Amino acid sequence: LKDRLAAAVTQSRAAYTEIRVERTWSSAVAFRGRRLETATVSEDQGGFVRALNKGCGWGIAAFTSLDELPAMVARADELSRAIRLDEPIRLADATPQTADAVLDLDGDVRGVSLAEKKKLLDRYNGAMLAVSDRIVDTQSSYRDEVSEVWYVNSEGAAIYQLRPEVVISGTAIGRRDGTIEKGLESIGLRKGWNTVQQFDNQFRIVAQRAVDLLDAPRVKGGAYPVILDNELAGVFIHEAFGHLSEADFVYENPQAREMMTLGRRFGKPVLNVGDNGAAAGLRGTLPYDDEGTPTQDTPLIKEGVLVGRLHSRETAAKLGERPTGNARAISFRHPPIVRMTNTYIAPGKPGAGFKELIGDIKLGVYACGAFGGQTMLENFSFTAGWGYMIRDGQLAELVKDVVLAGNLFQTLDRIDHIAGDFTWNQMGGGCGKGGQFPLPVTEGAPHVRIEEALIGGDV
Amino acid sequence: MIERLLERARGKVDGADALWRREEQTAVAFESGRLKAAGIAEEAGLNLRVLSHGRMGVAGTTAATPDPDALVARARASADLGEVVDLAFPAASTGPLPPIPTFFDRTANASLDDLIRMGRMLVERLSRPDCQINVAVEREIAETAVGNSAGARGEYRATGIAVTADVTRIVGDDVLMVYDQYVGADMPGDTDLEMLVRSVETRLTAALKVVTPPEGALPVVFTPAGLAAVVLPLEQALSGKTVLQGSSPLAGKVGAMLFDQRLSIEDDPLTPGRPASRPIDDECVPSRCTALVERGAVGRFVYDLETAARAKTQSTGNGRRGVFGKPHIGYTNILFRMLDGGGRHGLPLSAPTPELGGGLLRDIADGLVVDDLIGVGQGNVISGAFSHPVGLAYRVQRGEITGRVKDAAVAGNAYDLLKQIGGFGNDGRWLGSRWSPSLLLDGVSVARR
Repeated sequence: LKDRLAAAVTQSRAAYTEIRVERTWSSAVAFRGRRLETATVSEDQGGFVRALNKGCGWGIAAFTSLDELPAMVARADELSRAIRLDEPIRLADATPQTADAVLDLDGDVRGVSLAEKKKLLDRYNGAMLAVSDRIVDTQSSYRDEVSEVWYVNSEGAAIYQLRPEVVISGTAIGRRDGTIEKGLESIGLRKGWNTVQQFDNQFRIVAQRAVDLLDAPRVKGGAYPVILDNELAGVFIHEAFGHLSEADFVYENPQAREMMTLGRRFGKPVLNVGDNGAAAGLRGTLPYDDEGTPTQDTPLIKEGVLVGRLHSRETAAKLGERPTGNARAISFRHPPIVRMTNTYIAPGKPGAGFKELIGDIKLGVYACGAFGGQTMLENFSFTAGWGYMIRDGQLAELVKDVVLAGNLFQTLDRIDHIAGDFTWNQMGGGCGKGGQFPLPVTEGAPHVRIEEALIGGDV
Repeated sequence: MIERLLERARGKVDGADALWRREEQTAVAFESGRLKAAGIAEEAGLNLRVLSHGRMGVAGTTAATPDPDALVARARASADLGEVVDLAFPAASTGPLPPIPTFFDRTANASLDDLIRMGRMLVERLSRPDCQINVAVEREIAETAVGNSAGARGEYRATGIAVTADVTRIVGDDVLMVYDQYVGADMPGDTDLEMLVRSVETRLTAALKVVTPPEGALPVVFTPAGLAAVVLPLEQALSGKTVLQGSSPLAGKVGAMLFDQRLSIEDDPLTPGRPASRPIDDECVPSRCTALVERGAVGRFVYDLETAARAKTQSTGNGRRGVFGKPHIGYTNILFRMLDGGGRHGLPLSAPTPELGGGLLRDIADGLVVDDLIGVGQGNVISGAFSHPVGLAYRVQRGEITGRVKDAAVAGNAYDLLKQIGGFGNDGRWLGSRWSPSLLLDGVSVARR
């Protein structure tokens, strides 16, 4: 196939042409309550061509019928020529890579029967339902895939990647009369069958939490000192800062560039942030991005100061910086855009734990787990799964509906303590941007303390 | 393709239904005011569901030349693990399908240059020295065919166009994002584009000044865009699936007066000119309108074939399916109907964009207009509770907008707030597949730093 794609690229009239072809084998099992929803095996395949001519724009063609490849190459070239630009699009120089990158399948999911996958999910789903008769509903899903991606471009790059993925998630719905609460567990790994066998306890815990939340009061709205657990701290850094470090937001916008000038201070010296697409075995990990650039560990904030950003070849050229391997597409249906991979807050002082963070808080909130987050760049939300009040340096009652309102310039700067207990969150779900969702990403963080953050609720 | 597939399934399974869909998209993107990319996407896929020994199974493929036997075999393997379902596929309808225009030649025939011209006009109209503007124009042409082993067949073509304008204004450390779009099956007319421009300009102008947010339980006007957080819990709770599962707070409440008696909500797949409209659903059930909320009372829940069979009722024609996976419940067009003194407000206004707040601000001493919230859909939605930072919101003082507020969060419970609606705005409009006016809701919690 690589040779066929290389031949198609050679035929192209465009100054620059790239072709990506994907073939994805996947299986999925889902339960709703005690009932099986589906158990299916699917195969999806298609191609993507992007062409660029001098003084012209991008021409793009995405298709499921691979027989059409030569016609689609010609079409992408035509579309590129239909757009005239005064200021040409440039791509940062790159050494064309040729490689076969086969990630560890760790138990090839293609060799496991659908019946066995159903049995595994039935076990986890059953673990949630068994917790209490107040668990009235569950939504459990198992999904795996093995994706083969071929990438060639007219500069000579030729890359084959084999990317596995497995995601298990469960939502437990607890109900007492009109009160309804939920607990959510989600595990996502760029690995295989062997890695998802031992999560019974996690599923029991989330179901128990849904039951416990039935008796919990809503958090009172206002500004509090807040401690984020590892999972929510990860979502926080993704929303609070990760999206702003994506250079496609700043590269065409002089005001945004000024706001995000390298060297600007965003936090106290305890704060170190980065994005590492090359970290081993994580869901956001990939050897090469969807422009054929090798991934890397990119420091973004060093001791509170902005030191880097995430790039595609186009944004890097425009800003005179180097590509970082962050051009990603969720599938052949989409062009690569600047995205995060595995984004992290680096651990603070080794040995510094939760105790050091909570000790001097008189009234505050310990916000745990994550239902999600969203950003409008300066302002963002991050939604905890549950929380505890902190009273006089101690954890107090369980509270629900804990949603934090963040501000890029205020919230990051108010991070005053970072623990040493770093973990990667192996979450399912994914990140959405520009109509591309869900992109597999991972977040990692230790416990983090924010001196003051706004929490919504009755006041 | 459907015919051949059902033919191959015959004798091997008890029954089957299938959907074939081909989509063709053309898109142009202006980034920071410059046309940067043009693209096409073509995709075709086939989805098959079978009943085999009373059990349900599904399979799908995007292969260019699908092998029907392989697809049937995969669906049967899926059914081997499936649940027993007492599902009856609808028979061929006796009359013609409801006549609903879904295909507009103007949209289908629009050239790349037509799309570019439209985008360029918006860029020119919305350009301001301190703003960056992104515009996207996306046109879709789709063909759908559905059929089942009971002899029902349906086929239709559809067009859709989305024009999106997105303005970002950064001054110092203040980031303002204003966004709006036109979505329709037919091409936007000059009036539609003019409304889009004015909508963005109005909200941008009112946002230039930043003021301190208020605090407390306050009157809040939710614009059609800001209303999403309040509508989402109802959409989940009115789904026959959550009712069956016991997780809907509306289960067992059909006929109960839970909402303001002037409020009616419908799901209507037969609304002319909307991309979500269709003559038949993805399971061969002819389309019809469903009253979800009727004059404040809980109306009918929406069902697909499977949930209807389990609930021992009829499908409401809300079956939706993709290439992979099994059919599920999906809404089509959701319309808010306000009953004021017995009269029915008409459909889309073609008048110029009304003022922000839909004429509901007059009696507000201190409150907010909420146009966008951040993180909608990410909490414990079905409970009705919501809590979100504001994305775009304005303070109202003594009946007038005094500026934009930042760093504030609004919270409440949709069920409590919709019991008594303070007022329906005169600014009813489409937003994606939902038509609603602004609503004034009282007692919304506003927290600030």
